[in-house]
Amino acid sequence: MRIARAVAVVAVLSLLGLLVWDVAHGNGPGAAQQVDKGKIVPAPALDLPRLNGAGRMTLASLRGKVVVVNFWQSSCVPCKQEARELAKTADAWKGKGVVFLGVNAQDLEGPAHAYLKRYGVTYPNVRDGIGATWPKWGVVGVPETFFVDRRGQLVPPHIVGPASRSELDAGIRRAQQT
Amino acid sequence: MRLLLAAAAAALALAAPAAACTPRASQSDLETKLVCIQCHTTLDESDSPFATEMKASIAQQIRACRTEKQILDSMVAQFGPSVLSTPQTHGFDLLAWVLPLGGISLGAAALGFGAKRWARARTDASVDSTQTRLDAADERLVDEELARFDG
Repeated sequence: MRIARAVAVVAVLSLLGLLVWDVAHGNGPGAAQQVDKGKIVPAPALDLPRLNGAGRMTLASLRGKVVVVNFWQSSCVPCKQEARELAKTADAWKGKGVVFLGVNAQDLEGPAHAYLKRYGVTYPNVRDGIGATWPKWGVVGVPETFFVDRRGQLVPPHIVGPASRSELDAGIRRAQQT
Repeated sequence: MRLLLAAAAAALALAAPAAACTPRASQSDLETKLVCIQCHTTLDESDSPFATEMKASIAQQIRACRTEKQILDSMVAQFGPSVLSTPQTHGFDLLAWVLPLGGISLGAAALGFGAKRWARARTDASVDSTQTRLDAADERLVDEELARFDG
């Protein structure tokens, strides 16, 4: 009887532990929601396999540079609308301490590769198969674009929908100033 | 004659890709085993654009004579194990199969143990009741009543 009681207590404590862990690691408001309020917050980590290259890539490895992070899918029409503009802007800022990083999620690899080729995207892209990074970043759809400053902090604005050249330039300049 | 030869050559050319391989996987089976990552239902229950893309990718792989396992593996490589509609039977996913079975077994064992204890308690109680003796006054009363019936 004592053993049964001990097993029951252990089971209840384990379930409570799981509940606490889930609450502690649950999806609170994403970084995007903070940035939209004008706050500067640490950029959530990115450590993903490269889509157009071998190995993995981390956001932390780009510390010291301004990073433009763009979330996209090959089947998304607004993504296609901004793709060429992003590629051109990335080229224009090349060698000036600014890096563009694409995050492809919930997409098939074949169409994703074809998309990069079609729109002339040569800047680094990583692949997030199921969109596991979305909750922490607060991404709710694609395309969404973020600006990370040299210290790894997300700075406003956060662009939802197709980004224009002027919006991208303004975001980069703001990130350079922080 | 030339026309006949040309027709035969054309027929052979068209037949060649079809005869290149026999499909080694079923599209409908695979659609029940894979989940649309964007809409979170199995592919056979979804007509979303992304599910349609996944179905097209499966069809292409079947045409390329890939086996069911190869196709499932290619999807898992792209999206991780959550693209499968049922958990895998190895690694961490094995817990999804083992835990419910373990829970059911533990529950059954607890139920059996409880039933056994309850049955034993009832038997003990009935044994106790048969061993209860009447006091002398009650016994005399019962004897008198029985005598009345007999008489």
